[in-house]
Amino acid sequence: MSAAAGVSAVPGTIHGALLDELWRESGAAAYGLDHEQFREILERVAAAQNFGLAPGALASRQQQVSLFRGLRLADLVLARSCACGHQGAWEHFLAVYRQPLTRAAIAITGSETLGRDLADQLYAELYGLTARDGVRRSPLDSYRGKGSLMGWLRTTLAQRHVDYHRRTRRELPLDDPADGYEPAAAVPEPENPPADLRLLGKAIEEALRQLAAEERFLLAAYYLDGRTLLEIAPLLRVHEATVSRKLHRLTGDLKKQILRNLQGQGLSKPAAQEALGADPRDLNLNLKKILQNSSLDAFQEKAAT
Amino acid sequence: MNTTPQLDLHPDAESLNAFAEQALAATEREQILAHLAGCSRCRQVIFLAQQAAADAQAPARVPADRPKVRFWNWRFAWVPAAALASALALVVTFYPRHSAPASEMAKLAPQSEAAVPASPPQQRTSAEAAHKPVPALTMKSAAGKADDAARRMTSQELAAPSAVHSAEPGTFGASAGVSRAFLPSSVESAPQPETAQSQPEPAVAAWQQDQQRSSGALSASADASEASQKSLRMEAYTAHASRQAASAGPRRSQQSQSAPSASFDIATQQQLAGSAAALKVNPPRLPSGLAAVSRATAQNLTLEIDRSGALFLSGDSGQHWEPVAQQWTGRAIEVRAKSVLSSSPATHIIFELQNDAGSIWVSADGKTWTAH
Repeated sequence: MSAAAGVSAVPGTIHGALLDELWRESGAAAYGLDHEQFREILERVAAAQNFGLAPGALASRQQQVSLFRGLRLADLVLARSCACGHQGAWEHFLAVYRQPLTRAAIAITGSETLGRDLADQLYAELYGLTARDGVRRSPLDSYRGKGSLMGWLRTTLAQRHVDYHRRTRRELPLDDPADGYEPAAAVPEPENPPADLRLLGKAIEEALRQLAAEERFLLAAYYLDGRTLLEIAPLLRVHEATVSRKLHRLTGDLKKQILRNLQGQGLSKPAAQEALGADPRDLNLNLKKILQNSSLDAFQEKAAT
Repeated sequence: MNTTPQLDLHPDAESLNAFAEQALAATEREQILAHLAGCSRCRQVIFLAQQAAADAQAPARVPADRPKVRFWNWRFAWVPAAALASALALVVTFYPRHSAPASEMAKLAPQSEAAVPASPPQQRTSAEAAHKPVPALTMKSAAGKADDAARRMTSQELAAPSAVHSAEPGTFGASAGVSRAFLPSSVESAPQPETAQSQPEPAVAAWQQDQQRSSGALSASADASEASQKSLRMEAYTAHASRQAASAGPRRSQQSQSAPSASFDIATQQQLAGSAAALKVNPPRLPSGLAAVSRATAQNLTLEIDRSGALFLSGDSGQHWEPVAQQWTGRAIEVRAKSVLSSSPATHIIFELQNDAGSIWVSADGKTWTAH
């Protein structure tokens, strides 16, 4: 049977032979999932991702088959069975993931106590102790099998930890000097900066906005977050030496672009170079805001609830 | 990109994890990167998850790396293993040359002691020490450069001459000194196998011919008198072997106790054979401490040349040695005794010394040498 024939002409309808093959490969029978339940899981995943295409785009048969073949079906079936409360699935989940999950939580929090608390809290959520409209809700239901289930669990733990950290930082008491917190001094009214500094700020902002997404991510991760080359390299799928070369080239190009922008604003070349040598502390620039605003078209940051 | 409402705010855990695991399509990946560039929270999430994954893989990496570590260690083990194999190959190559004489020495040890009752215990101890099998590597270093030529000979060539040579009934003339020098020390100092003395005559004759050929370069100056000596020696050996077959031990004791004779006849030769055999059973230790490369015995005089070319004279069958001042040029390599026909009824014995250039010096008493 050809791969293209595995999906029927109607989007979301999977051919019986392909469904049976995927059902056997996933081990769904071990958790009591029949073909119809398995088909429902796959169709929900396909609908949620639109077969990995942009919203509104129609997937061809080949794209549909490649999506199903690229899923981690065993993890997906386990997660959905756990979300449905299957006892055998939970036993398997605990046997395989409990210890790694606790280790990951400890590594993320940097504390055994906090890590165990975080892991227990996630367990409670995964088990569906929280109910909405009388129905048990499990975060496992949102797992769609794109990456590994363990990776998904780690990322979920990290999200919980970061959100908790941000939330608790915002709740710091303002009048407790013992914590080392001092109220911010009154921000002085910004003076009118010199004209060359204003031009420089504008040139920098324009240059940063013209950067590609990967370049902005590189600058933000390295200069703002202080991540190492070794940490950044796997995310960009390159070697750390390549990250170093990219950074070197990027800063050089950025400097040239700023010079060009300054000259485009009417400064001579010597004047532009002199403006570039200004003390950065004199600049009134919020790089975080500039980089962040560059991606407003994709997502908008919002405090986690 | 996921169309769930949550993605309008932040990518969900599924998308972030898929991005970290490189499981996203290019378009989705670009969107996630664009978000990550401006979202410190998601960057923090993804780096924390990555750090946890690295920590989780660290213990699991140990068993995966163990085979490599073991293999690496075994690679170092190849060096001593190869050295051991080389040493074993050397031992296997050279051991057959020693095994046959050593086993015969063990069997014939009581007979040798019976044959030489007069040898002092100290000499026997030194002789036994000398009879110990020498490892191949030690033998190589002791034999020196001269052994290179001998190593080219097969083990049969080495074993046969040593057995038969030691069975040679103590000719008064020069033994094949250079050939003996080629032999390993253990073979050279091995006791005379009694069984070899009763070997059939054709075998001895064949070996003597081989010996003559092998030492042809050094004995190229053999003259007619040497030929006559050889025939005499053969006759003497024939008579000696027949008598040895009848009564070996007791007669040898008598021979060692009998007084040396000045005349060169069969009886004298037998007597010399006894003393030569005693010398071979208990090889004399030269004052230089070096092994002898050539030896000549006539009447009551024994001359030996050591490896350095120094000549030593003994008047008591090797009990005491005195060095002979060098009166020849070059390096002495061989000494032999010759009978010279003279007008007097008694046969006159002279010694001949040959240097490494092939020149000959002669002496009647072993002390004073004149160019021939």
